[in-house]
Amino acid sequence: MTMQPNDGYYEVLWPRSPMQVQGKSLAKRLDTLAGKTIVQLWDYVFKGDQVFAALEDSLKEKYPGVNFVHWSVMGNTHGPDERQILADLPKRLKELKADAVISGMGC
Amino acid sequence: MPSSSLVSQGFLKLAEASSIGLGLPSMPVALVPGHPGAQSAEMLRRNILAVTAAEVIKNLTDASGTGQHTAEPLAQDVVFKGGFDAVHQYFLENEWSDGLPIVPPTRAKVDEFLQYTDRAASDVLGVLLPDNRAATIWSIAVNGVMAGCRPEYMPILVALVQAMADPAYGVEHSGNTPGGETLIILNGPIVQQLGFNFKENVLRDGFQPNTSVGRFWRLYLRNVAGFLLHKNDKATFGNTWRVVAAENEEVLKAIGWSPTSVEMGFNASDNTVTIARYTGGNVIASVSGSTPEEIMPILADAIARQNSWQITFTVGGAYGTLRPLVLLSPILAEAIASSGWTKQDVKEYLFEHARIPAWKFEHMLRVWADKPIWNLTEEYEAGRIPKVFCESDDPNRLVPLITCADDFMVAVTGDPLRTNAYVFAHNGRLGYPVGKLIELPANWRF
Repeated sequence: MTMQPNDGYYEVLWPRSPMQVQGKSLAKRLDTLAGKTIVQLWDYVFKGDQVFAALEDSLKEKYPGVNFVHWSVMGNTHGPDERQILADLPKRLKELKADAVISGMGC
Repeated sequence: MPSSSLVSQGFLKLAEASSIGLGLPSMPVALVPGHPGAQSAEMLRRNILAVTAAEVIKNLTDASGTGQHTAEPLAQDVVFKGGFDAVHQYFLENEWSDGLPIVPPTRAKVDEFLQYTDRAASDVLGVLLPDNRAATIWSIAVNGVMAGCRPEYMPILVALVQAMADPAYGVEHSGNTPGGETLIILNGPIVQQLGFNFKENVLRDGFQPNTSVGRFWRLYLRNVAGFLLHKNDKATFGNTWRVVAAENEEVLKAIGWSPTSVEMGFNASDNTVTIARYTGGNVIASVSGSTPEEIMPILADAIARQNSWQITFTVGGAYGTLRPLVLLSPILAEAIASSGWTKQDVKEYLFEHARIPAWKFEHMLRVWADKPIWNLTEEYEAGRIPKVFCESDDPNRLVPLITCADDFMVAVTGDPLRTNAYVFAHNGRLGYPVGKLIELPANWRF
């Protein structure tokens, strides 16, 4: 005698919820870094100070005239004021005439 | 603006997953080989020059791409039809389950849950990072069904998601590497109306309300906030969800202490949830003594031992956001209160006595926790911490773990007749305590 399956039948709903963000395109990239202003954003952990110093040395060697806005100017992006710092970022980048941003550390 | 994000090797999947929620699935990242924390200065510099610099240049000069989301179902779509095993398998394959079987979320089940809220199913309580998804009443009901909750738990689930969406809590940090887990403290008449355990085994799974509501929290973090293991959840170790800790309000009332709900700004008769993330905890077994003078030194010592790197949330990584939690069994609370001590007296004592030498405080952060840019004197002179941290320049002076007595949280629960306590180490502003009122529907019958 074969047993009838006792597994039920269910029509189940999606447990997630719609995403509230639209896909964005990346900004146009720079032709060269020479003469450009690059802002450093740091979350003040995992030796970012050493990492940014090494990156500065490397990029300055390859691209004459490249300028860096030091991470200390922007404040801790993962500290107690992070929400305000991130909210102010577009305005600050404009004031600093920034051409590009390097952000770390994702660790 | 062109950007390059510096990401270490173990976090590339996280970067990929997070960028989807930001609407930039092709966000350029530059690899930092290994992890900087395990590299000497020379090794790190060598890796940055050899690998990372070239990727930064490519990110800023040569990256392109358009964010496009994968098509997803609509909010109320039926996504699968079949038997119990097939449903379970389908949810596992889509990463919608925690690995245990779920209660199939059918329309009929969800409608039962919706009967226990006066809000519309489409109401949005907030938008949750990292996935940037809407926290809707509908999605709360669906995940509540899945978790094995009963429909009447719905008002609690709604309050929990309101708390999760509160910016002060910081849900976006829920996948951080220390792997802290949220503890839910429940207060009010609803504790007994719905049969929550608040006695022996209060932190153990096995009681349907405590367990299923705790499971709901983790499922909602997964399915709506978007914390998927090996992706947006980077807990180095992590742990399973915590069951709900309901307070013993009968004892609190008898000894004249306020419940946690009152400390969070509500009335003693209110039904409330209070959430916070804790990186770990430890039991203090067999606390001996019949007076506060005998009992309190044991608790203060345990708190000082239980908190180490977490003090970065007191000074340095954040300021004044560390809120250690002590659970007292009722018999201990009764013994302390019998000498006339209030809960505030307990907090003041702990603030005065749960202390460590200043040199150790500084060493733990500056050297062991990789925060090279401060010391206590500088922080005090900059006005960022109170004078209690800088009463002298003696490196052996004792300094507190937190900035004020009120930052201690004390709850009363667990075995009424056993002299144990429990200390939770808090995750600071990355899971700061938030309390919410539980709104009961007009037809509440319990």
